[in-house]
Amino acid sequence: MTKRIRSKIARGSAEVAILALLAEKPLYGFEISKRIEEKTDGMLCFTLASLYPMLYDLEKRGWIAGRWQANQAGRDRRVYSLTPSGKKELAPLRREWNFFFQALDRLAGVTNA
Amino acid sequence: MPDQTMPDNTPGSWAALVREHLRPLNLPAIEQEEVIAELAAHLEDIYEQQLEKGMSESEARKNATNEVVQWRPLARNIQRAKLKEGIMNPRTKQLWLPSLVSLATSMLSLMFLTLLAVQPRLLYAHRAVTMLYLPWLAALPLCGAAGACLSRRAGGNRLTCLAASLFPAATLLACFAFILLDSLFGTGHAATLSAFLVFAWSWVFIPGTALLLGALPFLRPRERASRPLVS
Repeated sequence: MTKRIRSKIARGSAEVAILALLAEKPLYGFEISKRIEEKTDGMLCFTLASLYPMLYDLEKRGWIAGRWQANQAGRDRRVYSLTPSGKKELAPLRREWNFFFQALDRLAGVTNA
Repeated sequence: MPDQTMPDNTPGSWAALVREHLRPLNLPAIEQEEVIAELAAHLEDIYEQQLEKGMSESEARKNATNEVVQWRPLARNIQRAKLKEGIMNPRTKQLWLPSLVSLATSMLSLMFLTLLAVQPRLLYAHRAVTMLYLPWLAALPLCGAAGACLSRRAGGNRLTCLAASLFPAATLLACFAFILLDSLFGTGHAATLSAFLVFAWSWVFIPGTALLLGALPFLRPRERASRPLVS
């Protein structure tokens, strides 16, 4: 049960992280994992095994769309961008996470820990 | 000395590694090749990043190869994520199944009342007759509510919920329209437009209103914050 909750929280947070990054600009898989690592000072890391199933799932839901494009080095990479439906989903997801952290803070004082 | 099991960085070598490890992946050929190319590109990027950090080629290759510890679960997860739809697609879950429930419950309740020999009440006003099947009309809000509720639970928007709840009335309207067209252009019984209107009023408009009454609580806007954190 605990493991399930943990995995759901991890998955939900990963989804919002990916959507938020793609809201800034379209990125390909390696760039996404690199940016998440950089932006969180290495606290959040996406391996290939955790990233791609999630990208494909988000794509299936229609929140992101991938298309092949040449990167700066001229190599073909599958670049993901946020779809209008993904944009619509991101705002409430952000709000929900905000509520979640506020509630957790009230409950456990996590920001002052 | 480079490890023979590790790919060099020649074009296609990373793809060969991914292809070999993702063998349990069971996707359409084009989609599978796309996944392989994408994962291979990712490994290639890791390899080059490691080189930029000053690692030796063999270390870089090793680190890139170690990115995936267990390929079998990865293949399974990719397959699950890539599968287009489950048993039912969203439209089926949001519209067709709730519509079917709404139609089936309304028709079953009508059939049940007919078997109990409950008679409709005829009201005459201004040379027009309205047939009111009051016990059935009383049951219809529940049928409409069932359709709208199922549609909403499946993530349907307001229009889909409305369509699912009103589906029985729409079906009856389609039946009457077919009968009218058949009588006008076909060889069926002669039905007049006024008869059609009377039937539409008694069997479509009034039941539709009853269905709508049941659906109303499910047509309110969604509380976005009440959505689960993870879909």
